[in-house]
Order: sequence, then structure tokens, then C-alpha cells
Amino acid sequence: MIELTIDGVATSVEPGTTVLDAARAAGAAIPTLCFDGRQDPFGACRVCLVGVEGAPGPVPSCTTPCRDGMVVDTRDPTARRVAGAVVELVLSELPGPPAPHTELAAVARDLGVGEPRWPGAVHQPLHDDRHPYLSFHHELCISCGRCVRACDEVQGAFALTATGRGFEANVVAGLDAGFRESTCVSCGACADTCPTDAITEISLLEVLP
Amino acid sequence: MTAAPGGAIIEPVSKNLVELIRRHHAEEAPTALEVLKEAMDARGVITDDDRRVAAERSGLPEAAVYGVSTFYDDLLQPRGRRHIRVCTGTACFAATGDAHVDALRDGLGLELGERSEDGATSLAETVCLGFCHASPAVRDGDTIDAGPGVVERILADAARSAHEPPPRSVLGEPVLTVPGGWRGLARARAELTPEALLEAVEAANVRGRGGAGFPAGTKWRFTANAPGEERFVVANGDEGDPGSYIDKVLMEGNPALLLEGMALAGHAIGARHGFVLTRSEYPLSKPALEAAAAAARAEGWLGDTFDVTVVEGAGSYVVGEETALLACLQGLRGTVSARPPFPAERGVHGQPTVVNNVETLCNIPFVAERGADAYRALSPGATPGSKLVCFNERFARPGVYEVRFGTTMRELCEDVAGGLVDGRAIKALQIGGPLGGILPADKLDTPFDFDELAAEGCMVGHGGIVAFDDTTDMRALAKHLLHFGAAESCGKCFPCRIGLRRAHELFADGAPVPRESLEALLETLELGSLCAHGSGMPAPIRSLLAHWPEELGLG
Repeated sequence: MIELTIDGVATSVEPGTTVLDAARAAGAAIPTLCFDGRQDPFGACRVCLVGVEGAPGPVPSCTTPCRDGMVVDTRDPTARRVAGAVVELVLSELPGPPAPHTELAAVARDLGVGEPRWPGAVHQPLHDDRHPYLSFHHELCISCGRCVRACDEVQGAFALTATGRGFEANVVAGLDAGFRESTCVSCGACADTCPTDAITEISLLEVLP
Repeated sequence: MTAAPGGAIIEPVSKNLVELIRRHHAEEAPTALEVLKEAMDARGVITDDDRRVAAERSGLPEAAVYGVSTFYDDLLQPRGRRHIRVCTGTACFAATGDAHVDALRDGLGLELGERSEDGATSLAETVCLGFCHASPAVRDGDTIDAGPGVVERILADAARSAHEPPPRSVLGEPVLTVPGGWRGLARARAELTPEALLEAVEAANVRGRGGAGFPAGTKWRFTANAPGEERFVVANGDEGDPGSYIDKVLMEGNPALLLEGMALAGHAIGARHGFVLTRSEYPLSKPALEAAAAAARAEGWLGDTFDVTVVEGAGSYVVGEETALLACLQGLRGTVSARPPFPAERGVHGQPTVVNNVETLCNIPFVAERGADAYRALSPGATPGSKLVCFNERFARPGVYEVRFGTTMRELCEDVAGGLVDGRAIKALQIGGPLGGILPADKLDTPFDFDELAAEGCMVGHGGIVAFDDTTDMRALAKHLLHFGAAESCGKCFPCRIGLRRAHELFADGAPVPRESLEALLETLELGSLCAHGSGMPAPIRSLLAHWPEELGLG
């Protein structure tokens, strides 16, 4: 077992446990955007930053394994400040505020993110409503990769991919001809994990006459 | 480097994709990237049919192939029958302030990334061609022209290959600038056990020459000790740092030395196969290495015991980061993965892999032949070994030079490279690539070494030295660097993906830059980013803020 301290409380975990899992098991609330417990950690959003004694700066808790003697501070002011600034950047790329029920909105509230200090280009609306049950609003995609990993790791359908690079990064199905022309099996795992409503399921109530 | 206790728990990239690739590799199937590059070379644009063929031949899912096809510059820029690539690297910026880019754009009537309607001509941006000694540089097909009159020659369809000065050494006994002779490998195979060679490399304290300066011996030890069915050696030839052409000179001028270094790494860690990832911006590297490998096989140096495959990239700066490099090598999108696991635990095909920079590996034959003490004596009182540096066109004697660590920047700039041309004065230097800080002229007595440069917010990096003369506009330099940073972000981690775009936007027009929000943005990049691209791009901007605040148009 590995012995470490999280927010002043001694705890022990199995080798290989991440700081995020250990902290959450110990009752600490750490915000995340690209993390989904059903998938391998990805380390992209940098919102799960925590302070670790002796480290040169905040560390991403989702991809950091616990080590013996580690002293973790999930409320470290620098980690929270940087995580908040990252969410602020995410809000600045969207055409409007996130829907209140989304994970993104909850994380922004948790970190106390206000009006973005760095306005600039936003993603232009691009809606793909060709599938009967799945709707994709590309401008809401924050490239967290959760849908791509759900399709790969959970469903094994490989219907989705990250595209582009830098600010133009996004997600598409198949050869970018929509879900129906891809290997999508309409399982809905992508919509289920999406933290922004970029991919949503169309309710049968809306479809049926 | 730290290994995860009890074995790594995090997959570097999708384990399902890696397994698909491994199975197809066993059948000698091409990677998706190789098939897409062939299609681009043949037709100048990628179609969905090309993507389906790439999926079929490589075994990757169609969606994953689509992702690859939208990542690399070489696959994104449409090519006409005549494809012209203009270098927008930092040395070319230092030479013309980007006037050569505007002149080509106007002269050809094409925007960057545009192909003429009749398909005759296309123009694209490339960073960097490694002709920094003769900037500005332009590539017309596979001919790279550079220097005065280059734009006029391109517009007259009269490009000619630019001269490349041979590397020179200031060492009494050159290590990296003499042809490799396989003496180190001969000695190792005859006299040195893998453990003895590993100990020699550790004792020599060969520090990585690709930027981070991590000890090669430590990396090798981790890899040798990591459990796996087989091991691999990867030479990182993705020298993307604008202003650096050191690995280019090694791969094209002394390829046998690199192959020998790789074979030695294989001997030490128990690997039977190695890969070199070269840059497509250096079209001569892959053929030079393949010819040297064929000769080495004929002479018995490569073959059953250890062999090497050369793979060419497709235009992405971040692929120089080791996890992105491994993704590119396997034909995937060149995005960065969180570490741990380190490549030493999980690299090529998920197996333990040493990833070393080209120049690092080129140092190994000397260590194997002559021992750690002789190696440490090359740079007395400083980081051990020999180091290549290169100078841009602003210097009187630009080129690649083999020098000692610990030499002052003044000695390098004035004695070795002869000061600047046209009687101009040095305003500042950028050392080691775009992630290095900028050293003002009044700090030229700083020694060229890891700790001393770090104390000035700078770094050894790749060893490229770009001088900016006294006419350089520092706000334009900030904009130039941040354009590069935003364009090359792989798009995986949020701070870099959005933050570098925002930083560039702050400088993009003439508006005053609010200092407080700029500094908060730089902190977010520095502390939040996944790899050195996002965390390092603020370093030169910090230098500009520290030394030339009045030139940045702060508000």
C-alpha cells in the first residue's frame, strides 16, 4: 500500500492509484472536464490540477500516480487559479454561455469563473442533425476527447475521431459525413459522456408523431 | 523521470489502436500516414477514396485515418504541379521581417495554403527548412533555394539548390564533425557487455541534446529494466526548432555516426530494432540514412543483431515531443500523451523504448570507443562532451560548429561566427529554439551551458543561435513567435490549444496589450500545459517583457 496525505488527512491506496481517484475516495471534490471514470485518464483539460508538496508547479491529478509520502493539497491556490483560467479560456471559445445543466457549467461555477479576460475567435455554429437519434453541435465541442474514447474504449466502434489541430481541433464521425455514414452503432455512449451538449440524444418524444 | 509504482496504469494512446497497428506491422502493412503521404505525392490532395484505401491497407478505422489526414501540414496544404513552400522560420524572420513571404504571395498571386485554379501552382508555409545560414529560404518542389535573390529566382521559375557550408570544429579532436567509423560499435561488440556500455554512458553523463538535457544513461537504464517482450531504439530526428539545422547536418552529412549510436543503444538495452523519424522539411535526410544503412548492412554492422527503419514525418512541430513522435511513427495523429507512462515503459507498439535526439546518439560512439573519462574531458569544467551549435544568416560566418560547453555566448558569436554582417550590432539572441528565452546583447558573457543559460531565462535547447540585429522590431518578433506557437499547437491540452491562440490575438493587430492579462495568460500556459510547447512558448515573451517592455506596445 502507498501512504500519502490528502488535504491534511493520512490515507493509504493501492499502488497505481491516481491522485484524482485517491482524493475523490477521501472525499475531496476535484473538478474535471476530460475525465470519465469509465475511460483511461487523458490529461487534456488540466482542470484537475492540485498542489503537491515539493513539485515545481500544480500537477494534473488524473494522470499522476500516488507516491509514498506525497502531500496533496486539492485546494492549492495556484492550482485553483490556473484551473479557473483554463475554464475561462474554454468559455471564451464558445459562442455563448454553456447550458446550466452541463458539466462545463457546473465546473465553471465551482471554480468561480467569471467573464473571460481573453476574448477572441469563437467557434462558428455547425450543426449536424442528419442522424435520427444523435445531434452534433460542433461549435460546443471543447475537444475533451471523451466521446472519441467512449466510442473506442467502451463501445469498440471506432466511429469518432479528433480532427484538426490547435484552436481548430474538433471531433467528427467517420469521414466527416455524419454518424449515419460512419461505423456508429447508435449506442449513445458519446452523448452520454459529453460534458457540453455538443453531442446530444434526440428524445423519441421529439421524433415520434 | 519517475516510473509509476506497481506498473503504469495509464495508456499513452488508445491501446486498441496501438494493438491494431502492432498486428498490421507484423504483416509489414504500411501505416495510415505512409499511405496518405503517397496519395498526396501522387495527386496533390487527399480524397475520401484515399482515406478508405489508407484504412484498408493500414488496418486503422476510417475515422482514425480521417483524424490523421487533418493533422499534418503536408496532408492539409493542396499541391499544384509546382508546389512552392516558403520558410517562415525565425531565422528567415530575422533576415527579412517576413518581407520575402509577402513578396512571394504578391508575385504568385496566391495566399499561403492556396493552389491556383488551374492546378499549376501552389504556395504553402513551412517551418523551417534548415537553411538558416542563408535565409530567406524557399522550397520549389524538392529544390531548396536560399539567400539574396531567392524570391526573384522563384518568380522566374529558376530555383537553384543553395550551398550548404560544411560543419567545422573548434575542438582539437572533433567528435561529431568527422565521419563515423564504427569503431565504438566494434569495441562494444568485442569487449563491452551491455551493462559495461550502460555504465560508461551513465559515467559520461551524456545529457540529451534535444532540449530537455535529460541524462541518456538514466533513460537507457529505465528502458533496460522495464518489462516487455521486446525493446526499441528511436532516434528523434524531428528537429523542428526554427533556427536549428544541427540534426539535419548530422543525418545528411554523417548518417553512419547516428546509425552507430543507435546500434550501441540497442546493444546496451537489448533492442534489435531502431527507428529514425526524419522531417519532411529535410527531403535529403531519409535517403541519406537509408543509403548509409544499406552500406552498413553490406559491411555487417547492421542486420540480424540490430537494424534500423527510417520513417519520414509530415509537417508538425510538436511531433518533436517524444510521445507525439511515437504516435507519428505509428502513423497516428501527432498529439502529446501524458507521462507516465514514459516511452521507457511503453513506447513503440506499447513496448519499452529509448527515445533519444539525433545528436545525443551521435555522441555515443565516442563514449563506447574512448570511455567516459575521455568524453568528460572534452568540455572541462562544464557539461560533458562536445556540442554542435549553429548560427543564422545575420552572422558573418554562419554554419554549424562543434564547440565546448561553457564557451561564452560572446566567444561563440564574435570569435566563432565572426559577429554580424553589414556592420550591424546584435540586439538579442534566441538560443535553442522557439521555447527558449531571448538573451539581450548586454548578457553576451553568459556561458553556453544548461544552468548558466537557465539563470537568464534561456536554454541550450537544440543549440540553434539566432541573432536579431538592431533593426528588429520586438513586438513583431512576439507576434511572429506566437503565430508559430498557435499554429503548431497539437490541440490536445486546453491551455495550449486556446491560450496560444489568445496570446497571438493579443499581438495580432496594433492594439495595446494589457500587461496584467497577458501575464495571467502566460502563467496559465506555463503551469497548465501538458508538454513543453505550451509551457515553453511563454519564455521568449517573458524575456521581451523583461528587457524591451517599451517596444511591446503594452497598455
